[in-house]
Parts: sequence; C-alpha cells; structure tokens
Amino acid sequence: MHPTEGRGAWWRTTAFRITLLHLALTLLGTLALSGLAWWATTRFALNQIADEVARDTSVLAQAAQLGGPRNLALAIDARIAADRSGTQYFLLAAPDGQRLAGNLAAAPPAFGWQRLSLTGPGVPPGEVLALATPLPAGLLVVARDLAPVRQQERFLLGAAGWVGGGALLLGLGGGLLIARGVTRRAAAMDAALARVQAGEMAHRLPARPGGDEFDRLARRINTALDRVQGLMQTLRQVTDDIAHDLRTPLNRLRQRLDLALRTGSGDEAWRAEAEGAIAECDQLLEIFAALLRIAQVEAGARRAGFTLFDISAVAATVAEVYAPAAEERGQRLRTAIAPGIALLGDRDLITQMLANLLDNAVKHGREEGEVTLRLAPGMLTIADDGPGIPAAQRDAVLRRFTRLDAARATPGSGLGLALVAAVAELHGMQLSLGDAAPGLVVALTWGDGQSGSL
Amino acid sequence: MKILLVEDDPETAAFVKRGLTEAGHIVDHAADGRDGLFLASDATYDVLVVDRMLPQLDGLGMLRALRAAGIRTPALFLTARAGVGDRVEGLEAGADDYLGKPFAFAELLARVNALARRPPLAAAPTLLKVADLEMDLLKRSVSRGGQRIDLQPREFRLLEFLLRRAGEVVTRTMLLEGVWDFHFDPKTSVVETHISRLRAKLEQPGAPALIHTSRGAGYCLRAPD
Repeated sequence: MHPTEGRGAWWRTTAFRITLLHLALTLLGTLALSGLAWWATTRFALNQIADEVARDTSVLAQAAQLGGPRNLALAIDARIAADRSGTQYFLLAAPDGQRLAGNLAAAPPAFGWQRLSLTGPGVPPGEVLALATPLPAGLLVVARDLAPVRQQERFLLGAAGWVGGGALLLGLGGGLLIARGVTRRAAAMDAALARVQAGEMAHRLPARPGGDEFDRLARRINTALDRVQGLMQTLRQVTDDIAHDLRTPLNRLRQRLDLALRTGSGDEAWRAEAEGAIAECDQLLEIFAALLRIAQVEAGARRAGFTLFDISAVAATVAEVYAPAAEERGQRLRTAIAPGIALLGDRDLITQMLANLLDNAVKHGREEGEVTLRLAPGMLTIADDGPGIPAAQRDAVLRRFTRLDAARATPGSGLGLALVAAVAELHGMQLSLGDAAPGLVVALTWGDGQSGSL
Repeated sequence: MKILLVEDDPETAAFVKRGLTEAGHIVDHAADGRDGLFLASDATYDVLVVDRMLPQLDGLGMLRALRAAGIRTPALFLTARAGVGDRVEGLEAGADDYLGKPFAFAELLARVNALARRPPLAAAPTLLKVADLEMDLLKRSVSRGGQRIDLQPREFRLLEFLLRRAGEVVTRTMLLEGVWDFHFDPKTSVVETHISRLRAKLEQPGAPALIHTSRGAGYCLRAPD
C-alpha cells in the first residue's frame, strides 16, 4: 500500500452513489409505468364485462318480450349450459321472489348495476358484476364473474415485480461493475501520483492513446508534471551553478583574510587587505544582483512596467558609453542607427542588454579591429571580428555561468549573455548568435507587436 | 548637517550613523516608519535617509505621508531590492535619490552631500567655471586658461556634470545614472576610461590637475590646491 489515505469503502465511491440514484429513478419509473398499465387494463376488462352483461340483458329481455317467461327461462338455461368457463351467472325471479330459472341463489336487494359476493355451498367464493333489470315477468339478473379480471391484475402485479426486481438487480450489478472500474482507474492514478509525491519525479500516470476522459485527465496531469519537473531541473541547475560559482570567490576571500590574519602587520598592510576583501565581496554581491535580476526578468513580472521608448536613443547612448573603451583597444566602433525607432518594453533592461552585448564585443573583439552596431526597424545586430563562438557552443553561452575557456582570462561573471537571453525572451525578441566571419554577430529581431510610434 | 536615518536593522543603522557622524553630521535614528514619520514631521532635518522595508509603516508609505503633509526635505531611499521597478516606485513616492543595498559607504556619503547641496532648478547658469577652466553652455565651448579645448559631445556632457557639482565627490554610479541614464553597474572600466580621456584633454602636461580621484569613492572636480 502506498502511504496516502486508505482506499475508502466501495460504497463511498462516486460511481456507486450515482448507481444508487440511477436505480431509484429506474424503480420509480417502473412503478409508475406498472401502475398505469394496471389501471388501464383493469378498467378495460371491467368495461368489457359490463358491455357483455348489458348485451346479455338486452338479448334476454328481447327473448322474454317475444316468447314470454317460459321462453326466457329456456334461453337462460341454454346459456348456462353453453357457458364452459363457468363465469356467467343468471337469475330469473318471479315478482314474489321465487326463482324461476338461473344459477344464482338469491336475487339482489336492488335494481341496477352492483357487485355481489358469491356465497354458498358448491360455489367458489368470488365477486360478480351484476345487472338487475325488472321485467313484466319478474326480475332478470345477469352477472359475470370478476375472477378473470382479478387474475389479470395479479398477473400484471407479478410481471411488474419481476421487471422491477430484474431492473434492480441488473442496475445494482452494473453499478457495482462501473464503480469497480472507476475505482480501479482512480486508484491507479492515486498510486501513480503517490509515487511522484514520494519523490519519483519521473513517474507518470498510465494513459492510453486516444482514450476516455480518464486518459485525457491523466495526460493533462502528466503534462503538468513534465512542466514541474522541468522547472525543478532548472532550479536545481541554477542552485548547483550558484553553489559552484560562488564557492570560488568565497574561497578566495577566505584565503585572503586568513593570510592577512597570519602575516599582516602595519596599518598600511591591513588597509590593503581590507580593500582587497571588499573588492572580493563586491564581486560576490554583483553576481548575486545579476542572478536576482535574471530571475526577476525570467519571472516576467517586469512586463507590467513596459513603456514605449526610443530604442535608437538608447542604442546611441550605449555606443557612446563604450566608445572610449573600444578606442582604448584600438578598435573602431561603427554605428548605423536608424533614428526614432520606438519599442514597447523596459528601457532599463534594454539598456543593460545592449551594454552587455557591446561590452562583450569590445572585450572579445580583435585589437585594432572593428565593432559594429546596427539598428533598423525590428532588427538590431552587434558584430565583432574576434575569435567568435563555435556553433556548437552558441546555446551554452546563453546559460548562466557559462564562460568559454578563451574568456576565462578576462573579468566577468558568465552572466552577461544569460541576462541578454532573459531580456530578449521577456520582450518577445528572437536572439541568435552567428558567425561574422571572422567574429561573432549577435542579432535581435522583433515583430510589430513590440514596435510602435512615439 | 542634520540627518534623520530611518532604518530597522541595528547593524546597518550603527554603520551608517557612525560613518555620517565621522563625516561631521548630526544623525538622529528612528527604527521604524512611524517614529521616522513623527521625527521628520518637524522638518528640521537637512536630509532623510530612509530604508524601504520598515516595521509599522514602510519607507514608501512614510515618504508619501511626509510629501502629502507638504514636507519637502530631500530624501535618499535605501533598498535591498535590485529591481528597477523599485527605483521608480521610490522616486514616485517622493524620494529624491535611490541607493540599492548593499552599498559602499562612500557612495552613501556622496549622495547625501549631493542631496543637501542640490541647487534650486531655476538658477541655471550659462557659464560654469572652476579655477581657469570655463564652460559656456550657450556656445557649447570649453576653455582652460583662455586656450580653447575641443571636446566630443560625450566629453562635454561628462564635464558639465562634474562642473555643476564642482567641489563634491561624484561616484561612478552617480555618473552612470546622471550622464548616461544607466541604472545598473556595468562593472567594467567604462567610467574610468571616460574620465582618463577627459583628463588627458583638460590637463596638458605640466598643468595642475583638476579632476581628482577620491580613493574608493569617486571623482571630484576642484581647483588645484
């Protein structure tokens, strides 16, 4: 068992509860339908019996009119003899109540339609529907046994019971099957997620291709897990990088202080050591600040502060700042800046991005060489004619703390291009490193979404 | 100068207070925003140094309340946050300058001095002069000892910034922000390069120095001793 909450009783599953509800509704429906059928059938049968009784009465009354009481008595006897079902009852009584013909024991107390209970020896107990009609010759009673109707009613009730019971059983069985299926799928997902929770970040939920809503849900959860895992890996990478790259300067700082403590003497020496230590600290703090800034940019929170600004002016200023540095190295800094290009973005970040790029170009460009900054609508390139970056390493230099061997001799934290990449991403710009043959050309391109007019 | 320091961290407060006192200033200290607001309401201070994160009432709230009450004492805003958005927020709340933590004490001192001496905006002179160095802002010309000096536009702007703060220490970051609107430190020697090129043009061999390097702090343009 995995260490999550218990699996839970089967009757507490959603599937089972839905099954129960479904069953209740089915039963109610069956009941209503049966009731309706019962009522309609009974009424129909009763009407039919009443019709027969009325027809017999009218036929017999006609016989009495044509042939007199005797003829009527004969007709009744003939009918009784012909009735094989034994459900027909007749009575012809003289006005004084004496029975002249028929198989009913006694005359009913009143005229008209009525229901009579059959009692007496040799007669099965039952109920009959009777019509008592006064004739000149006496009282004519025609009755029919209601037992077939009752039997039909019983049959209907029995059928309803079977159908209802069957539906109940089938529904219950089906519900349990569904509940088991759903519970099993849910349990599988639960178990898989429990493994992820326990630290197996690479574990994924089972999901069939195509599949039902469970598979879609599983795929969605898997995608979310992929994203979480990716973020965690990035975070781990950054943490490792920080741990590794901060240890070096911290170590240097410690050694310096250690040495100062052991050998330092005299105010001047202490002063020099303290200044050196502060310089080391500043470098550390700078790395922290750069990392924080990259994280802040990557988080995308800065987008809220976007304004429309003149990137041409920014590019010109950055070129101006780095012009003396280029001249110091005997380089020619050439600019081709189209005036008045507007960009929607963070002015400070774009400034820093351009400064980082130009700083790199001046630092790594060839001495006595040429550095070029070009700005056109939707496109900015900065090129140098130094050693460039091998194609295989161009992706790597955009990551934090990557410093190519050739650059290790020059000062820098290895965070400059990482910030450039983050700022470009924030502004929806495409960043590409290319070969300037010789040298490196960095190109930034952006679409109309980031452009505007001032 | 009378300075109010509003800072909740006792270590930082002691460090700043000691430094400012050694520089000859009188420093009062408040440990939270409410006390700070109460003390600053007197308007008897020359400069306020306010930390952003404070208990009771944060630095932004304190400055807003103060400015709403019509107290215009120049304020330097300190923050541990590195973001540019924070700088804008601080300035909008009524701060006059902004300094990210951690900072070098020389940087803080230079900025506090600059704040206290900030001249009224209306009095914009057209001629800036230190010793035998003259800058005519209308003609955009510079001369030393009557000898005309040709400066590139970028050198002209740098010199103008220094001349307007003649006698004060100006740090690298103040130059980066004030001259080029760079609100980050490029950590390369760009500023030093600019200064040394400007120096080369202003100080012909044999002429006394005008731009002095203040060790560990920045630069100061002043008449030769």
